[in-house]
Amino acid sequence: MAKKKLAVFTATGCSACENSVLDVHFQISPVTPWADIAFWPYVTGSQWQDLDHVDRIDLCMFAGAVRTAADRKAALKLREKTRIMLAVGACSAFGGMPGLVNLAAVRDEGNSAGADEGIDPALPGTESRVSALSQIVDVDYVVPGCPPPKNLLWSAIQALLCPGECTSRISYAASRLPERISQCITSGILPPKGGTFAGEKAVCASCSRVKEEKKFRSAFRPYAIDPDPGRCLLEQGVLCQGIATREGCGGLCTAAGAPCRGCFGKAEAVYDPGAKMVSAVTSTFDSANADEIEAMSNEFVDLAGTLYRYTMAAQCALPVGPAKDENDAGDVL
Amino acid sequence: MNRFEPRIIAFLCNWCSYVAADAAGVARLTQLPNVRVIRVNCSGMVDPSYVMKAFADGADGVLIGGCHPGDCHYISGNIKTLRRSFLLKSLLRELGVEDGRFRLEWIAASEGPRYAKVVNEMVEEIRSLGPYVPPQRRSAKGAA
Amino acid sequence: MMQATFFEPLRWREHPARVAVYNGGEELKVYYQVTAPRDLGAICKGRPVEELPRILTLLGPAHHIASAVTLDRLFNVEPPPPAVNMRQALLQTLVFSHHLRKLFFFLTSLEDPLADRHSAVRTLGPPRFLRHVFDEVMQCLSLAQEAAVILGGRAEHPLTAAAGGVSRYVKPQSYNRLAEIGDTCVIFAVKFAEFCGGTLLNASEAGEALNEVSPGPMSSMSMSDDADAAIVVSDRTGKEIDRFTPADVFDKVELFHEPWSYEPFACLKGKGRNVLAAADGDGLYFVGPLARLNRGLEPSTPKAEEERGRFIESLGPPPHFSLAAAYRALLVELIQSAEQMTVLYDQEKLTGPAVRTIPQAIGQQAGAAIESPQGLIVHRYRVDERGMVQELDILDTAAQNNALHCRIARRAVELSKYGNRTREETKKNIEASLLPF
Ligand code: SF4
Ligand code: SF4
Ligand code: SF4
Ligand code: FES
Repeated sequence: MAKKKLAVFTATGCSACENSVLDVHFQISPVTPWADIAFWPYVTGSQWQDLDHVDRIDLCMFAGAVRTAADRKAALKLREKTRIMLAVGACSAFGGMPGLVNLAAVRDEGNSAGADEGIDPALPGTESRVSALSQIVDVDYVVPGCPPPKNLLWSAIQALLCPGECTSRISYAASRLPERISQCITSGILPPKGGTFAGEKAVCASCSRVKEEKKFRSAFRPYAIDPDPGRCLLEQGVLCQGIATREGCGGLCTAAGAPCRGCFGKAEAVYDPGAKMVSAVTSTFDSANADEIEAMSNEFVDLAGTLYRYTMAAQCALPVGPAKDENDAGDVL
Repeated sequence: MNRFEPRIIAFLCNWCSYVAADAAGVARLTQLPNVRVIRVNCSGMVDPSYVMKAFADGADGVLIGGCHPGDCHYISGNIKTLRRSFLLKSLLRELGVEDGRFRLEWIAASEGPRYAKVVNEMVEEIRSLGPYVPPQRRSAKGAA
Repeated sequence: MMQATFFEPLRWREHPARVAVYNGGEELKVYYQVTAPRDLGAICKGRPVEELPRILTLLGPAHHIASAVTLDRLFNVEPPPPAVNMRQALLQTLVFSHHLRKLFFFLTSLEDPLADRHSAVRTLGPPRFLRHVFDEVMQCLSLAQEAAVILGGRAEHPLTAAAGGVSRYVKPQSYNRLAEIGDTCVIFAVKFAEFCGGTLLNASEAGEALNEVSPGPMSSMSMSDDADAAIVVSDRTGKEIDRFTPADVFDKVELFHEPWSYEPFACLKGKGRNVLAAADGDGLYFVGPLARLNRGLEPSTPKAEEERGRFIESLGPPPHFSLAAAYRALLVELIQSAEQMTVLYDQEKLTGPAVRTIPQAIGQQAGAAIESPQGLIVHRYRVDERGMVQELDILDTAAQNNALHCRIARRAVELSKYGNRTREETKKNIEASLLPF
């Protein structure tokens, strides 16, 4: 049986997603008999030309958002060669933090191109708005997180890359995965297309903090309170987005004393993460008086930048940002 | 001449505002024909995501009509709506939806004329704001 | 029109960048281009300032800590001692992981590190003994990451540092584990340094080649390790020539733009864009492990000091500017960070009545600096009365040292030209030369 071919690439994001893939790859070596790295610029120094010598990539792990013309070109080129496209991390899946650029009022055309003709090299242009991978090309699966936790990355690799006989397949528990995906992993068939390697419910379902149906009269910015370590943060007046967010991290941030900011994207049943949070937050207001409610509401600042911290580009129902313009498909030098 | 006719989605509580709207219709009070009414059991049912979805699907304005505080058939559904309204409005504002496009009004069953007045005011206000287009879909030239 | 060659994407770079080479006529032109904007202003402005420690992990995990320290200043609070120690323990763990990863990258391109044609991991698999070392490196890395998770909540994008301290205590169950990890890391670091330093860097041909490559003598910048936490600039002989507070760094360092890169180029104030063409590196500075070592400060820990002794034994007293020295400086700091980890991974140091001081008021503007694994980073924020970010300046002296990167890339290309290397070899020269700086 021919070895599967793996590609890993980051567009605009950071190196943490790739470092996580690197860690998984090296920590769990049973994969190596089954797969070859065909394209991984960061670690093996692959060049774009190398792709021309590969007929087909079986799995492409694409991290980072699409910000520049070069990112777009990379996405298109990899998609063309790839059988299974996996969006890795919040940037690639929903635009991630770079997607907040779309919120910034002024469009920064900065120094895209415009170099000294013929003497200095040009630059790949910046697109008018930041996009998630799925807004550019067809994406088959998603593993969310910023960066994705290792167990989820690993279960994605297992499900998508290793054939049934790989010894690692059943060795790694993926207990918070949706049943269908974990069944697929153990039985060695591909999960249904479009699947997400994470839970289905909300982070609250696996958060270790206790919810007591308590309400609060005044909200706290996270710097202004040392919250009770055992109790739900939202019920203590701290904006925590667990209830709107897909579970899978096991309540990583809330366990570390920090509120959830939604790096797994919206939970399955949520229409829009911001709207969901509006309803969750206000239901904990302890008041029926319009003025008091208004005052409490005003204690929450930067709603758009917080509630869509990782999802502005792809999951906000009323996406902001400049319209796409024709140059977006522009060519790279 | 093509005048811009705003599309307004009105979520009206079955027990009060909907009755008022009905009465306004029966009484043939002048009310502008821009409103699509969605009858709900209680204004408390109108989740913020319904409002977002209405805008996302092309509404130019959204009205929620409920019973006056104290009169809610389900005791405090309208207070729930009241609690949501300020934060929702702030969020909408940050996403580029102007304040006038979203309104929460208490309209009792007997207040047909008030219903007509609210609707007419809202239509005019939104007419002056122009159609709502999510910023992302505006043409590059018109973008802020 | 001259013929351009692009080297893209570059291996091991954390930000998208490429090298463009114009090779025609008598002049060789080499450009190090950052090919995507950082967009920090657009991402951070308008956010509540307390969110910055999490957002800025985009730039690397050490920025998490730098940002929290800046918030301490902005909110005018003293973090309690256990919080300071926990941040410091996390920082040392990050240094350890970072250096080890870089050295690992370096090893994967061995045989001839400046021009290997078959990267070890890629095709054939490395020689057996190297494979064994790789396994050990990866194991140790994963241990260090486990420690980073215990301390920071997450290894790559930590969470726990917050305004006025940290967001939680280390769980009592974790202390034993931390101690184990610390000890293992020290043992490993010493063994690994022996392997790299003794066998590879010293004796082999590869080591000799590395000795020859150097961006040339130039100034360096690092933080003083005394109480006033000042930034110190040393000249090419290692002599201190300037000392200033972190907030003043933006008056001492000049940033200029070129139309062919998204990111500015840094140089010492007053030197301007000439630094790009200058033959002698005047006006440039470098940072990070070698800069710290060149200042002649003795490591505070015994095994690191021994390693520094070996460094001096084989290369002579600092300052040094060669690649070999840069890689060896990583080894010295690898040991030092491991030793400091063992000191700081201590229940006594990490417990106390509180780990956070809750701020009472928001200031308007503050700046702070820390030594990140790569080199000095400086943050400065200005906020409105509600604490929303209005301006921010971030100087990551390593990642943003684009003028130096240009110079290093040019050196590497020149070297390849004389050696008549192939395209692929030239690319590897560039990458191996950029890696430790
Ligand atoms: S998802 Fe997070 S970790 Fe991954 S590239 Fe984006 S910012 Fe980095
Ligand atoms: S709101 Fe946050 S703290 Fe509360 S249960 Fe959900 S995830 Fe946990
Ligand atoms: S708690 Fe929320 S922000 Fe934190 S890792 Fe989980 S999903 Fe991401
Ligand atoms: S029944 Fe009318 S608002 Fe609740």
